[in-house]
Amino acid sequence: MVERLAMPKSWRLESKPHKFCPGCGHGMVLKVLGEVIDELAIQEKLIFGVDIGCSLLAWDFFDVDTVQTHHGRTNPVMVGIKRARPELLCIAYMGDGGAYAIGSQHLVNAAFRNEKIMAIVVNNCNYGMTGGQMSPTTLPGQKTETSPYGRDPKETGSPTQGPEMVAAIASPGAYVARGSVTNLKQLKRFMKKAVENQLAGNGFSFLEVISCCPTNWRTNAKQTWAFMEEEMASYFRVGELLTAEKDEENS
Amino acid sequence: MNRKTFRKLHYEGTKGCFNISPDLCKGCGLCKEKCPTDVLDWGKELGVYGTPIIVPARLEQCIVCGICELVCPDAAVLIEKKEKVKKMAKGS
Repeated sequence: MVERLAMPKSWRLESKPHKFCPGCGHGMVLKVLGEVIDELAIQEKLIFGVDIGCSLLAWDFFDVDTVQTHHGRTNPVMVGIKRARPELLCIAYMGDGGAYAIGSQHLVNAAFRNEKIMAIVVNNCNYGMTGGQMSPTTLPGQKTETSPYGRDPKETGSPTQGPEMVAAIASPGAYVARGSVTNLKQLKRFMKKAVENQLAGNGFSFLEVISCCPTNWRTNAKQTWAFMEEEMASYFRVGELLTAEKDEENS
Repeated sequence: MNRKTFRKLHYEGTKGCFNISPDLCKGCGLCKEKCPTDVLDWGKELGVYGTPIIVPARLEQCIVCGICELVCPDAAVLIEKKEKVKKMAKGS
């Protein structure tokens, strides 16, 4: 018997094994986030906000104070907490449906006002919890429950490029990046920088993570990796879009 | 307070040890596909969701890179490198 194998110390043991599907990318993202929480020793002052959708299954994931809101309202709730208690660290954790579809107004305005919170958006190209319907980030030609012949960009538009959108409106001091669960060491570096950006009080920190949904994509492990590494990576470019160093270069 | 514990299966290799918990492994197979030396395969024991768990079927090929531990979404895999064990023994 062993207490925790490779689990970060901030993970709540009582809720493990967690409720995500086998092979879900949320587990990998939350493992990286847990390691960052451990390394920066921020567990005591962290407020973790989860959105509706699969991301809400993380509401008992960590041993930290957690609040769950609906449809992208995680951003304004975190903004409110951060404004009332600036010494706390606020992380909003959302899926692509919550952040880019119903909740995009909150994301855009929080980024526009350069609120000192951090937002993590886990992009898996569909609405996972409700059965795999088409989401704003569904790739052109990708088959989902509501696009059975593949997504047609002429009818439904092109997939939302979240970090590009936020980077276009964000003020100096913001940190915007896109990571992927296919490169977890790089993702950890990005996540650490995003948290440190909020700790320094510079501005809005935004991180999108390319993730997977084997259940609704109906892929096996091999096809899951291939879809993320080839099709998603060709459309969603991984990298940092706005950092403090880039601000200095531009000024 | 009694803290939750998980069963651990321990496999000893030449370069390191492979540990897996059947209480955590959901049998997604992501680690199996990422293994650069094709060590992992499906086992006979069933995991928490009633699916076969991963076992190091070809442990002699393991280079203890730790990628399986890194990608496991359920933190069910733990790799222990042998050099570290030796160093810890010396230090204590």
